[in-house]
Amino acid sequence: MADMVKLFVNGVEVEVEAGKNLIDAIGAVGIEIPHLCYHPALGADGNCRMCLVGIEDGRPPLVPACKTPAMAGMKVLLDAEHIRKIQRDVMELELINHPTDCPVCDQAGECRLQDYYMSYDRRQSRMTVPQVVKGKKMAFGCGVVHDQERCVLCGRCVRFCRQITKTGELGIINRSDDARVNIFPGRPLHNRYALNVVDLCPVGAMTSADFRFQQRVWFLKKSPGVCHGCARGCSITVDHNREKEQEARIYRLRPRHNPLVNGYFICDSGRMSYKAEEEGRLNEARHGRLARSVDQALLAVAEDLAQGGKITFILSPDSSLEQMVTIRALAEKLGATLSGFSDGWIIPGDGDDFLIRDDKAANRAGLELLGIDCSRTGFTAAVEAADLVVNCNNDLGRSLSAEELGQLFQSRRLISFASHRREIDNQAEIVIPVASWSEYAGSVINCQGILQHFPRAVVRNQPPMELVELIARLGSPLQSEADCWQELARLPGLPADPATIPTEGLQLNDNEAAHDQP
Amino acid sequence: MSDRSELISTGKPFSFDKKRDAAFEQLSKRYPTRESLILPALWLTQEQEGWVCQEAIAYIADRIGTFASKVYEAATFYTMYHLRPTGRYHICVCRTLSCWLRGKQEIVDYLRNELSLTPGMVSEDGRYSLEEVECLGHCGSAPVVQLNGEFHEDMDVEKLKALLASLQ
Repeated sequence: MADMVKLFVNGVEVEVEAGKNLIDAIGAVGIEIPHLCYHPALGADGNCRMCLVGIEDGRPPLVPACKTPAMAGMKVLLDAEHIRKIQRDVMELELINHPTDCPVCDQAGECRLQDYYMSYDRRQSRMTVPQVVKGKKMAFGCGVVHDQERCVLCGRCVRFCRQITKTGELGIINRSDDARVNIFPGRPLHNRYALNVVDLCPVGAMTSADFRFQQRVWFLKKSPGVCHGCARGCSITVDHNREKEQEARIYRLRPRHNPLVNGYFICDSGRMSYKAEEEGRLNEARHGRLARSVDQALLAVAEDLAQGGKITFILSPDSSLEQMVTIRALAEKLGATLSGFSDGWIIPGDGDDFLIRDDKAANRAGLELLGIDCSRTGFTAAVEAADLVVNCNNDLGRSLSAEELGQLFQSRRLISFASHRREIDNQAEIVIPVASWSEYAGSVINCQGILQHFPRAVVRNQPPMELVELIARLGSPLQSEADCWQELARLPGLPADPATIPTEGLQLNDNEAAHDQP
Repeated sequence: MSDRSELISTGKPFSFDKKRDAAFEQLSKRYPTRESLILPALWLTQEQEGWVCQEAIAYIADRIGTFASKVYEAATFYTMYHLRPTGRYHICVCRTLSCWLRGKQEIVDYLRNELSLTPGMVSEDGRYSLEEVECLGHCGSAPVVQLNGEFHEDMDVEKLKALLASLQ
């Protein structure tokens, strides 16, 4: 724990973390200091003047809270008429040239300017002069669309591109009331984290071409999730909604602050990975050439498993720990072999030194922890020795060519549980659709050995069966989530109850995966 | 001040001539960081070409090793850099508070109505160009007009007429 100090806010004593600036320190105990330009990941810039507070110790009358560290005994004054006047004046300044087009603005509902107007301003505009006209819907590249008129010139996007991605595409050009954010002609946004500027923008100046006009934010249900785009496992918020008489769908993914894993950001490909949850999904169970209900298809699978013979289960490195341990228990009961072969998930050289990893699997560390063989030789041997192969949602097409797969499964019976339509499943005798990661609750371990648990986010109109339930119905000894965790708790460092995993995740120290690729 | 974000592209690659190249290298030894070279490099460009084109900004950024957006920021912030060719007589009228209160608008209106000058533009005959600029630092003798870099203080329309009449 950090050192705590006692200080006074409006004469009331509060205990806050020492060393932090006043916005963060006092914000942590629930007292808001309004601010536009300050962001914890980008540092204090001090340009918006919205966070001015009084310190009653002989300093200048007002100081920016973002640049003032919390110290013991400090007397912070927030609730005073001269400070409220500053806040009103700053709001008035910001709103002089603001188009106030909230009814058509995507940011409405999560806009600092809107919120602060209601909390700190609430006055009629006194402006009678024409507003400065600037650029609208400017395509900045990477799917970022900019509206210069809505901008409050806080410079967060500019600082993000200079400090975090170090690509510096954005700048504030001109000066005074003509100042605006722009790219240099011919050098648009070109980095793999560009869409974070949309989240960083406190107003509706930066919008995502993908999300624009799709949904009012107050209709969105916000579920915590873990990105399954790569082995980093960034904490995300899944924003989804079911419109009247429609299918529930995901509208966007946003980073969820997690100091252990991803800080405040996620990469653009992770952000766009929600599209894979919506497109190319497998919707219908099939036995032979005939469409079947899931129950009928499951009965057929159970019969096949009961026939005996050599069985191989193939696991996906994206599966949750619960799914893996349930499948492992069933395999042990049936005397079947297991393989987590997924070499194709690893794209050497694709990762960077920030968030993106070479390994595109969300839970390879889980496979390793459960002792499931992932080698190609192990996979080939297991499949070649098997009479029946059960593929539990592993997209083998990523690791092997269609030709290799064709040869491998030519004379072998294949059963597929799949969330998406895949080429390989055309060769399967029985195919059953299963839930994808946004539709089930589960736990994954990332490349740093951090265990995260996520709840179910989206409930479809006809929810696909979850893999754990499906395997349980095929006779796995682990019949419930509690059973799974009883089994998982035997592993070093894992708790017996997923509810005890903190929201930012649990660091598993004994996990070798923490030391894999840089 | 008008919007200076529209840069003019010449379509031709830009580089310093021999003299400016040597001057640039000499300057680079003087500053602790290379980003300090942005303003002097813009001056060198303007000295060489009379104005600063889009290609020159990209060239300066790459030569210094900084982001083009940073050079773009500096070039559009300071009105002393001409982002388009100027007229033979370049007139800057200060538009900041003291000059505004002391009647800069009458001067701008005169230039606009009598000489058909638009801030940011060059007259058709190429004789004049006009720019409304931010504070020139002569607030004590506002309003102030700068003609080809030379200051003329305590201006009004009559003095301006006399000044323009004295030109060749």
